[in-house]
Amino acid sequence: MTAVDTGLAAEYAAIYAYGAMAVHLDGDPRSTAEALDAEHRSRRDALLDYYDANGLEAAPSEAGYDLDRVEDAEGAEAVLLQIELNVTTTWRAGTGAAEPGEREICLRMYADSAVSLARLRLAVGQSVADPWPGRPE
Amino acid sequence: MFTTRRGLLVGAAVLTAAGCTRETAQIITSDADLTAALRTARSLAIGAEALGYSEIAQDHLTHAATLERLLLPGVVAEEEVAAPADAEALAEAEATGSREASDACLATDSDYAVLLAEIAAARAAHSAVLA
Repeated sequence: MTAVDTGLAAEYAAIYAYGAMAVHLDGDPRSTAEALDAEHRSRRDALLDYYDANGLEAAPSEAGYDLDRVEDAEGAEAVLLQIELNVTTTWRAGTGAAEPGEREICLRMYADSAVSLARLRLAVGQSVADPWPGRPE
Repeated sequence: MFTTRRGLLVGAAVLTAAGCTRETAQIITSDADLTAALRTARSLAIGAEALGYSEIAQDHLTHAATLERLLLPGVVAEEEVAAPADAEALAEAEATGSREASDACLATDSDYAVLLAEIAAARAAHSAVLA
């Protein structure tokens, strides 16, 4: 499994999570969540184009993903923050790839996911400061 | 001074341990990409702090401290830089700095590709929230 495979799987999971969680949100967090959902879909589509262009076969999304049970906005925000962090960590891992094309797409996806993470943090009132986005602790 | 063979050997060991030999010191050449990233990190830190974005400035100072540690002993001196006029100009400087680090990440064959990617991503995030 390549770094791009792992990243695509993380994007699928994020799309699923936004679909399940956005209903619990209102106001700025809700509009930001809808915008970020659309961005994950765009990234998925760009990745599927990458697979096509390179003659590779992309794995399909799972039918469902395990998410924490959520009953309010606070819980939904926590789940989505964790999802964005997971996506960012996943793409970060591919930026050291030896193959130039793989490193390039992982870097692009990593920068985009760091932006998504910062935008969600801002929308839910958290600090956006983070010198090492997605770096495992 | 060294009248016996043992005295000669002990004397040579002492001089070597004290660094008194003619052996040429090995200079570690600093990585040009890391030096460029350091200059930009320092500049962005000054710009963010001047406009009141202290947390963002701290991110850049963290980058600068890491880069300085990696570049030792070839760390460039700090330079005077002009702070950006407003948040829009800072956002543009962050975006430019992100592209610089991204290009370095893609071009490097060193072990620092991930570090340069992290710096690029952090700057991209700053730019997005400032814009």
